[in-house]
Formats: sequence, C-alpha cells, structure tokens
Amino acid sequence: MSNVALKVAKFEVLRQLKKPAFWAAILLMPLLIGFIYFISFTFGTENVDMNPTLDENTKMAITDDAGILGPEMSQYVINGDKEYGVEMVKNGEVDLYFHIPKDFVENKKVDFYHISEGLDIFNFDGNILKGILAQNAAMKVDPADVVALTGNFEIVDNKLTASGENENALGKAVIPIAILVVFFMFIALFGNRFLMATVEEKENRISEMILTTVSSKHLIIGKIIAMMVLGLVQIVTFVVPVLILVFLNRENPMISTILSSIEIDPVTIAMNIILFIASVFLYAGTCIFIGSLVSTARDASSFIGPAIIAMVFPLYFMQLFFAPEPGAIVYFLTYFPLSAPIALMLRSGFGTLGTVEFLIGLAEVSVCAIIVIRLAVATFQKNAINFETFRPKFLKRR
Amino acid sequence: MKNIVEVKNFKMKFGNKTVISNLSFEVKKGEIFGLLGSNGSGKTTTLRALLGLYTPTEGELLIDGKKYNPEDSSVIVGYLPEERGLYRKETVIDTMTYFGELKGLKDPKEWSLKYLKRVGLLDKINEKIEKLSGGQQQKIQLGITIMGNPKLLILDEPTKGFDPMNRKLLMEIIDELHQKGTAIILITHYMDEVEKLCDRVILLKDGKARAYGKISDIKKEFGKKSLDQIFVEIYGGENE
Repeated sequence: MSNVALKVAKFEVLRQLKKPAFWAAILLMPLLIGFIYFISFTFGTENVDMNPTLDENTKMAITDDAGILGPEMSQYVINGDKEYGVEMVKNGEVDLYFHIPKDFVENKKVDFYHISEGLDIFNFDGNILKGILAQNAAMKVDPADVVALTGNFEIVDNKLTASGENENALGKAVIPIAILVVFFMFIALFGNRFLMATVEEKENRISEMILTTVSSKHLIIGKIIAMMVLGLVQIVTFVVPVLILVFLNRENPMISTILSSIEIDPVTIAMNIILFIASVFLYAGTCIFIGSLVSTARDASSFIGPAIIAMVFPLYFMQLFFAPEPGAIVYFLTYFPLSAPIALMLRSGFGTLGTVEFLIGLAEVSVCAIIVIRLAVATFQKNAINFETFRPKFLKRR
Repeated sequence: MKNIVEVKNFKMKFGNKTVISNLSFEVKKGEIFGLLGSNGSGKTTTLRALLGLYTPTEGELLIDGKKYNPEDSSVIVGYLPEERGLYRKETVIDTMTYFGELKGLKDPKEWSLKYLKRVGLLDKINEKIEKLSGGQQQKIQLGITIMGNPKLLILDEPTKGFDPMNRKLLMEIIDELHQKGTAIILITHYMDEVEKLCDRVILLKDGKARAYGKISDIKKEFGKKSLDQIFVEIYGGENE
C-alpha cells in the first residue's frame, strides 16, 4: 500500500470525523431506530392488551337476541332491547355494552357501545366479548376440539434437503442477508460522498496543486480507502445499537427463533464478505468514474441516479429470487455487472446459488471493479483540470 | 547536469487544433527563467505538460532528466498555478500540514507554523480557509508552493490578484529561494518584473518560440531598449 495514498486517506478520514454534519448524518439512523423503539415500547402494541379480560371495576351488559350465551354467562345478560343497552352506556350504568343480534350466525357482527376516550386506536375492549363467547363455546365442546378450533397450537417445521438432511434455510440466510442490508446501506449513504470526494478538487480549483504533489492514482486510492473507513464507522455506529436491541429482546419468540437457527458456516461467511468488499469497490469505482467525468457534484447527481437504480434493480424483482429454480431475469441480473452484487447476495441468502456460480459472479464483480477503478483514475487524471460542465456529445448543440 | 528543465520538440494538439508546435528550450539550474507570451500563446499548456497534467502529443519534457513524477522526493517542485484554490472548508493548519505531509516534509506542522508566523497569520491557524480574506488565502497558497525547499519553482502569473504587500512578500521569497539555488520559471505579463528578475526568457506566440535567450541578447536581436517594446512588436498585431 502506498504511503502517499495512506496520507490522503488519513486527511480525508480526519476531516470528515471532525465535521458535526458527518456525525449528525451518521447518528440519524440509530437515533431514529431508538426513537421508534421508544415509541413502540411506550405506546406500542406490546404494551397493549389485544385480548383484554373483564376486570372487577368494569361494568358490562349484553343483550343476546341470538340466544347463544349459556346460563354461565347470565350475569352479563340484561333484559331489554338495544336502545335500552345504549341508554345504560350513556347514563354511565355500564362501561361496555354488546348487542348480539338475531342474525349473528349469518352476518357475524356484534354491536359494541362504550364512551369514547379520544382517538382510542389501541383500545381493544371490544375483544372482551370474543373471550366470553369463546369461553361460552368451550364449555359446550371437548377440550381437544377447542384446541383444534382455536388453532392455538404450534406446528414445528422440520425441512429436509433432497439428500434427507435437516434443512435450515432461515439460519443460512441470516448472515448473507445481513451483509446485503449493510451493502444496501452503503449504496444509499455513500454515493453522494464518493461524488463529493471526487469533484471537490475541481470545485475548489485545487486539482493542479494537488496533482503536482500526488499522483491521481494514489489520490483516488486514498479517497477510496477513506470512504471505506468512514463506511465502517457508519456501519459500526448503526449495527451496534441494532445488536443491543436484539440482545435486549432476545426472549422475543421471533428473535429467539432466528438467533437459535443462525448457521455459522465460516466458508460461506468468508465468501460473502469477499463479495461485499468487491461490490463496495465496484460501487466506489462507478461513483468515482462518474465524478471524474464532470466538474461539479450537481452535474454528477444526474448521472449517478441510473447507476444506483441498476445496482438495486434486483430488489425490484425480489419475488423472482424466492423461486428454487432461477429464471432468465434472475440469471441476467446475476451476471449484469452493476446488478450482480445484490443479485448474488440475494441468491446466496436464499440458497439458490451454487459454489461455481458464486465464484464466477465474484470473479466478474472483482474484475469489473478493477476495470472501473482504473478507468476512473485515467479519467480523473485526464479531466482533473477540465472545469467545464460535462455533457455527452449527443446532447451538445451543433 | 546543468539543466533542471529540458523541453525537446514538444507538440500539443487538442482534437484537431495544434496549440504548441516543435517547442524546445531549457531552464538552467538556479536561474530565473521567464516564460512569456500573450493569452493563449501556450504558456500554461507547456507547464501542464511539463508537470504531467497533460500528455504531450509529441516530444519530451523532462525535469532533472526525467519525466515528472509528483511522488519522486528527489525532485521537489513547487507550483503555483494560475487556477488557484484551497480546501475551503478546512482549517489553515490542517491544509498546510496535509500538503507538507504529501511533499514529504519531516515536520510539516512545525514548518507551517514558522511560515504562518513569518507572514503574520499565526492567529489564523484554526480558521477555515473560506473565512480568510483573498490576500490571506494567497499567502497560504504561496506557503504550500514553497514547502520543502523546491529545486524548481513554477509560478504562473504569481502576482495576479496579489495586493502590494503580498507582491512584496512574493518577491522576497523568490529572492530567498533563488539565493539558495532554486530554479524559477516565471509566467507573467508584467515586463518590468521580468527585466528585474529573469536571467533568460522565451517568448511564445501561437505555440511557437519567437525569441529565446538572455534578455540583453533578445533586446539586441530586436533592436529595442525594453521587453515591453519587444512584446508590443511581437503581439501588437493581435489586438488590431
């Protein structure tokens, strides 16, 4: 590694780390996650009882025109019609009133009346009747039938591979998909920064001074290293709070299922990390190539959009990647250079990518990354002191 | 080797347009050399090709016997380009230290502090460049240019936009470096500066050398008393 490239990288990293704007952008995501977590913790559904039971302070009345409630529930049943029940709510004689109409079995509807307490979006008091009706029904049938009818049992999924071994698709998918998420974040957060880093010398009219002090190759490599380091800082800043949240919620059934199923296969993990690194270089090279063609970040922004869309294109066809046998579109996206990284990561995650195909894809992404970075260096050197607005030839006025 | 710069049969084309044709000249070690000409005559293009920013169409441009490599620490070149700028959002000391590190200075921060003290900007070390006045920014650019005692100093219209105080400072610095043996290539439109400072000059017109040698010899050749008169004779027709 060139000493000069490292000096460039050090300067680029330190100047970014000193900027409050960098930390504001970097902390925005974890803060947002923390805020959402706080909101859901404080007001969210996990604190809301979706199947409440009747407490001793709540008075309830039911008019049962359908006649489905047994004598055990007679304490709640009142004599009178619907208007009478509604009046009881209005007068404060009861808190909750349910009217079970005659055609309940056909229409499957019950009227529920209570005094509103504002927006009330997390009020599930109406479900009290469901509990009472279920309890009423359970008293009339066999307990085994109750389990069968309520569906209140777990189906343990034991998948087998074609060779008869236990299949753990979810466990195998977790790490490749996590790497894909990190790569997606990198694309979303770093495209603009790469462009800015490339055009900054031109925008500040400093290209001549810098390129007579350091070679364009080492300047670009230094900038790429710096962006990688900053990306790592950003990813760590994002991932650590997520891991803390996962740890705090490790008893949650869904999270504990995922955690217990994660399959640590060092070879697969290493291959996916290598693919991630090659993909990052390909993306960085593409951004720098675009940046080297133009004079300002504003000019670059109109060209970077299509490149980003091509990169994330496989996500638009996500459902096609679930199929056990990849189709023509999936194959095209796997081998088209810009879409290859995400397509390979998806297929690796969903278990539809063989080792040979993975290695071919990895080789393609790596070779393309090298080509595009060399192209970017050459273009940067050529255009470094061109301060004109870039326009493709076919757009130029004759 | 006597020459710090050798330009041999240099030709430069941009598309179909030839901007420099068959240009050859040398700059001797330790001399102050004037690269003169009207706007568009090819001065800046020649310097950019010499510094590897442009690839010449034909010919050879050498500094200390080899093609210029900015990372070759055996030949330190200070270049103050016509297009000037700095990292506007960075502080004075960070910018100077960065360039000092790239130029291989042993203690770039210490060098920068000494320079800033000399030019009266020590109280601005932690200011962002964009907060400085134009004159103060010029001092920073000049400091970056002369870092590391360059063997060759290339100044492209150095006094353009300089206030009288900075112009005086620049002249002092040129003189100091010249005394230390630094060769200087000076591009300027001020002929009084050239007569005062330069040992030899080359006058370009349309990418070709119209005069080359010692100032006294050129005056004899053109039968004129001053470079101003020679300049008017060569380029006068361009404005008619």
